[in-house]
Amino acid sequence: MEKLKDALDFSDFSKAERIGLIIFSVFLLVFPWLGTGSFAKTVMIQFLLFSLFGMGWNTIGGYGGQVELGKAQYVGIGAYTVALMMVWWKIPFWISMPAGILIAIGYSFAIGYPLFRLKGHYFAIATICTSLVLKDIFDNWSLVGAAKGVELPIHEHPDFVYMQFKSDTYYYFFIMALFYIGLFYMNWFRKSKLGYQLRMIKDDEDAAESLGIDIRWCKIKAYSIASAFVAVGGGFMAVYNLYIDPASTMELSLSIKIALMAMLGGAASLWGPIIGAAFLVPLDRFLGSWLGGQKGLTGIDFMIYAALIMIVSAYQPRGIWGIIEQFRKRGR
Amino acid sequence: MLITDALLQGILMGLLFALVSLGLTVIFGVMDIVNFAHGEFLMIGMYSVYWTNFFFHVDPLIALPVSAVVGVLLGLASYYWFIKYLLRGPAIAQLFGTFGLMLFLQYFAMFLFSADYRMINKGILVGKSLSVGPFIFDWTKLAAGILSLMAFAIVYYLLHRTKTGKALRATALNKEAASYMGIRTDRMNAIAWAIGGGTVGVAGGLLVNFYYAYPMVGILFVMIAFACVALGGFGSIKGVFFAGLLVGVLEMIFPVFGQLIGSDFLGPHFKFTVVYLAYFIIVVVRPQGLFGWKN
Repeated sequence: MEKLKDALDFSDFSKAERIGLIIFSVFLLVFPWLGTGSFAKTVMIQFLLFSLFGMGWNTIGGYGGQVELGKAQYVGIGAYTVALMMVWWKIPFWISMPAGILIAIGYSFAIGYPLFRLKGHYFAIATICTSLVLKDIFDNWSLVGAAKGVELPIHEHPDFVYMQFKSDTYYYFFIMALFYIGLFYMNWFRKSKLGYQLRMIKDDEDAAESLGIDIRWCKIKAYSIASAFVAVGGGFMAVYNLYIDPASTMELSLSIKIALMAMLGGAASLWGPIIGAAFLVPLDRFLGSWLGGQKGLTGIDFMIYAALIMIVSAYQPRGIWGIIEQFRKRGR
Repeated sequence: MLITDALLQGILMGLLFALVSLGLTVIFGVMDIVNFAHGEFLMIGMYSVYWTNFFFHVDPLIALPVSAVVGVLLGLASYYWFIKYLLRGPAIAQLFGTFGLMLFLQYFAMFLFSADYRMINKGILVGKSLSVGPFIFDWTKLAAGILSLMAFAIVYYLLHRTKTGKALRATALNKEAASYMGIRTDRMNAIAWAIGGGTVGVAGGLLVNFYYAYPMVGILFVMIAFACVALGGFGSIKGVFFAGLLVGVLEMIFPVFGQLIGSDFLGPHFKFTVVYLAYFIIVVVRPQGLFGWKN
């Protein structure tokens, strides 16, 4: 009960932020009735999905300050668990998604234990390596469809048990619900004991250790929370796209995108991943559909995208939220 | 027999891997930055030789200095126009910054040259092979191995015998102390990037003789280079040489073992998986690498 109160309590934010959250929530609620096309709806679903990924990454990467670049493997685990259980045994989504979360958590403990012996660059590259190993295995494992991937059976009628709907609106509300669960959880998390411990670890590991914090255990716990978040998103991806393959769920670029959105928005802040996703997802999609399709201009959309990453990391590593806070300080 | 052959081929590849990783380890040693764009420097080295060959009909081996010059210029340009500004930020921003550079160069290459796979098909050595007893070597790979070894030796000599090289290593050991001795950190950083770009450019020029050039070729080689650098110990030049050889032999010999046992699961698809696993295990068991001195 106490935890729930903490999760719903946004009173330590400034008035502007709380009003912003309310306006944003109202916008999310009425969005399907604004008469926008299906393209806008897919962009919004992507945005909510990547905010969820980003929030997960924010626990270990933002509050914990560990450069984690292997989140895609958990997207893969979540997506494959849901897809394979459905294809093999016809198990409903509501059972296979929690199963995916449990597998992701178990796996994250198993590799987190050796992984968190490492620090800094060693850690960052090792996370990439584990993710690539898993992708290589799935790419060549004929039992799980190898590089061809898995197609989910399509049901004729909309089905709540298997989460198959004709209209994107249902998926939109479902991912929105997941998004709010994530947001409230993160709101609790940042005020929890683990949240404070992680920030302490980020500031000064030696000092944290001398205060009796078990650094490695804290990091592993945060890492598995992050993995659970990402696995939920992966499960959603499976039922939403109805088709998954290693290239779309476990690619290195996906891991980077997840971390990048959280960092670009502002790591270690509740709003950061949301702002980052709100900025990058539409940019990505619009650049892709506007420039990517034109002949002779292939690649220019990603050049702009990359240039943006370069500029942000060189001039404002604290992200968009960092810029906003800078302005607020100046205004005071 | 099969194994000896794989061993020899692996050593040739390993020499090239060592040259690819050399720049990465020098840059890491001097300024503690992991350069994700390193593979893209390799890609641009490959393209520079390819286009020199294509337009001027210069033999790829003679065009090698072009790739070296392009590599050095690219390294210097990246440092002065971009990396310098990254240094003010936290480590995570540096990682993302070089990652952004990587993406930028990849898609820039795609924009300019399209995503086509390109390979050199005429040259003195292309397509010819040398048979020594039962073993057959491609001349291109042989030349790549020998020239990589030479390039590595030259850089090693420069770093250990010249004054600038010594200054560079001093900066790697202790930046502050070196700067008190009058060594300009900024210039050393630039030199490290020039060496990094130049060596990997040459490696690209050698690689294009027997490997396709395409915009995304870098990511595979940068992962191999990461593995070599970590195996050798971040920043260790001697270490990266032996690690390169080890990785080259590993990726060649592994499919042969699979072939001998008759197992499909040890097939050639997994040859790089082994490299990643080796990285993971070595780094966890022995974080300073095989020859590491920087922890």
